Amino acid sequence: MLKDRGIAFKLILLCCAGCALIFLVVFGYSYRFSRAIIEKDTRQRAEGLALNAVYRIETILNSVENVPEGIASVLENCSLNRAEMLRLLRASVADNPEIYGAILAFEPYGLDRRTRTFAPYFFRHDGGIKATDPSSPAHVEWDWYQVPKRSNQPGWSEPYFDTGFGGTVMSTYSVPLYRTAKGRRSFRGVVTADISLERLSDIVASIRVLRTGYGILLSKKGTVVTHPDKGLIMKGTVFDLARERNDPRLAELGRRMVAGGSGFAPFPVLAAGKTSWVYYAPVPSSGWSLAVIFPEEELAEDVVSLHRAVIFLGCAGILLLCLTVALIARSITGPLRDMAAAAGAIAAGNLDVELPPARSRDEVGRLTTAFHGMKTELRGYIAKVAAAAAERQRMESELGIARDIQMQILPRVLPPLPPRERYDLQAVIEPAREVGGDFYDYFPLDHDRLCFVIADVSGKGVPAALFMAVSMTLLKAAAREGLAPDRVLAKVNEELSRDNEVNMFVTVICGILDTADGTVVFANAGHNPPLVVRSSGGTALVKTDNGLALGVLEDAPYRCESLRLEAGDSIFLYTDGVTEAMNPAEELFGDQRLQEALESLAGKSPGEIASAVLQEVRDFAAGAPQSDDITILAVRFRGAVPPAN
Amino acid sequence: MEILATRNDKGTIVAISGKMDAVTAPVYEQKLRELIDGGETVFVNDFSRLAYISSAGLRSILATAKILKPKQGTLMFCGLTGPVRDVFEISGFGSLFPLHPSPEAALKSIG
Repeated sequence: MLKDRGIAFKLILLCCAGCALIFLVVFGYSYRFSRAIIEKDTRQRAEGLALNAVYRIETILNSVENVPEGIASVLENCSLNRAEMLRLLRASVADNPEIYGAILAFEPYGLDRRTRTFAPYFFRHDGGIKATDPSSPAHVEWDWYQVPKRSNQPGWSEPYFDTGFGGTVMSTYSVPLYRTAKGRRSFRGVVTADISLERLSDIVASIRVLRTGYGILLSKKGTVVTHPDKGLIMKGTVFDLARERNDPRLAELGRRMVAGGSGFAPFPVLAAGKTSWVYYAPVPSSGWSLAVIFPEEELAEDVVSLHRAVIFLGCAGILLLCLTVALIARSITGPLRDMAAAAGAIAAGNLDVELPPARSRDEVGRLTTAFHGMKTELRGYIAKVAAAAAERQRMESELGIARDIQMQILPRVLPPLPPRERYDLQAVIEPAREVGGDFYDYFPLDHDRLCFVIADVSGKGVPAALFMAVSMTLLKAAAREGLAPDRVLAKVNEELSRDNEVNMFVTVICGILDTADGTVVFANAGHNPPLVVRSSGGTALVKTDNGLALGVLEDAPYRCESLRLEAGDSIFLYTDGVTEAMNPAEELFGDQRLQEALESLAGKSPGEIASAVLQEVRDFAAGAPQSDDITILAVRFRGAVPPAN
Repeated sequence: MEILATRNDKGTIVAISGKMDAVTAPVYEQKLRELIDGGETVFVNDFSRLAYISSAGLRSILATAKILKPKQGTLMFCGLTGPVRDVFEISGFGSLFPLHPSPEAALKSIG
């Protein structure tokens, strides 16, 4: 289909189709118009030629007519003797080259009472003038004599083939002669002049219309007088021909012609297979009719040959246009194809692919330039992304190392003292991210006392982790000085609050278990209160008098509290990551659930308690992402040491 | 989280709803800082529709309080319920700031 083809193909097809259409329209109009012009021109030419021929024929006929009319006038007004008559007649023929011959024929005894016949005839023969014997009888029964005698009018006879002297086709102009005696006018004879129709044939034959157009002359009765085909001359009338051919249109044309009409008409077929046109006009003085006939197909010949050239030029032009369009299209689509290939390569990841150079400033050039820019940008962007990815990887690996370090500073092994059999301890920590802000710590203070710490730095991640490291170090240092928990917290608070521009703080429970009797002395700086899991069953939330989180306010007060663990009792410390763990419905795990979980864990070891609570929290969260660090520290007192003896 | 600050002739009541955690706390901090820069010094944080506050939220409150301190400003809280009240109590923040049952009571306290 068209939409599957290239731009070049579409351009060529559309341009050439459009041009061909325009060309056809222009060609058709031009053909019709020029043909009409030529037709009109040819008609005018035919008309002009015909009228010119008519004029020339008329001129000849008129000059011939003047001769017998002059003789008649002389004879009627002057009294000439025979010799004078003969001389006049002879001079008339000799002086008028148009005249073939002339006769002066009197009625019997028309010249005088003694002469029965007087009909002298002069005619041209072998370059000279010959005469017949005036007393030999003339053919007075012929039209040339009878018609003027009867009609009392001069007139041209029908053309006839003169077998007597001329041996040529002739027509005769006859003028009646009258004698006036005693007031009476009586017919006396006829004076004539003959014209050889060969003279007229030459005039008619000189008519040339188009290539084979020709002229013909018809007599008053429709006889063909001249025709390029000599075989048709004097062989019959146009009506005979129409009858013979059974062609009423030809007969109609003939009738109009002999009636002295003029005009254009389609010419009924004379020459086989050719439609022709005819222009006809009368020759007034003789009543003859001249026709100019030309074949229609020759009308179109010039137009056809002109338009054959036009078609050739048009086709050549369209072909040239195709080539030009193809070249232009190629110059456009070539770079586009290269660009498409380059884009494909870039899409496949090859950013080093060579792009076609921008050769021009047109749309394709701009596209190419934009493409160059895009490639450069893309390369830069990918380099940035790669660098960012590398940076991220580096940071991730650093965070991984930081996590390892953070985990390493948290104690994992119980110290040798106080004696292990006096207590159990389990601590677990699950940071929400690589590094966290929660921490725990435990270390011996002396043979009997174990110090334990659980803390939660505000915020998460690297800042929290750094703050955690500082807090943990300070706490351990202060506790090892042997200070009471409230004093430990107060001292560390002083350190953290001073110039705390980041406004970070840490909640802490610092406790000291005396493993000899189960006494726990502790202080709380804003941390979740611990719970006690009694071995006898039952869990108690330890009501504490909370101090402010460390780092918030200098000189914040902290107080020591104490509780006593019986053998098998555990103290359970945790960070808010436990109680604030959320499920997908965004509900908090809460104190209530924690307490219920612990209820069922009476008498269990810290390890069992810690893992059971963790499991509870995980089950509750049901896959919801952990948002905060989770830390649990549980310490079980095994029992009082008997007093030493 | 949504913050709605209403100016009053005695101070500005800042009603906060939703959750105040590591993501939203900076928004609160920014909003309060703008109000302080605008000359406000007395604030009543209405937490009656606050469902949850994390330590990051407390940190923002602390930062705001530290900006107000040299301006002799007051940061009060009211309408603390459930987990939010627990967090304030446990962390000791409840003892650091005046707590009131309602905005009216808070404003009344400054006379």
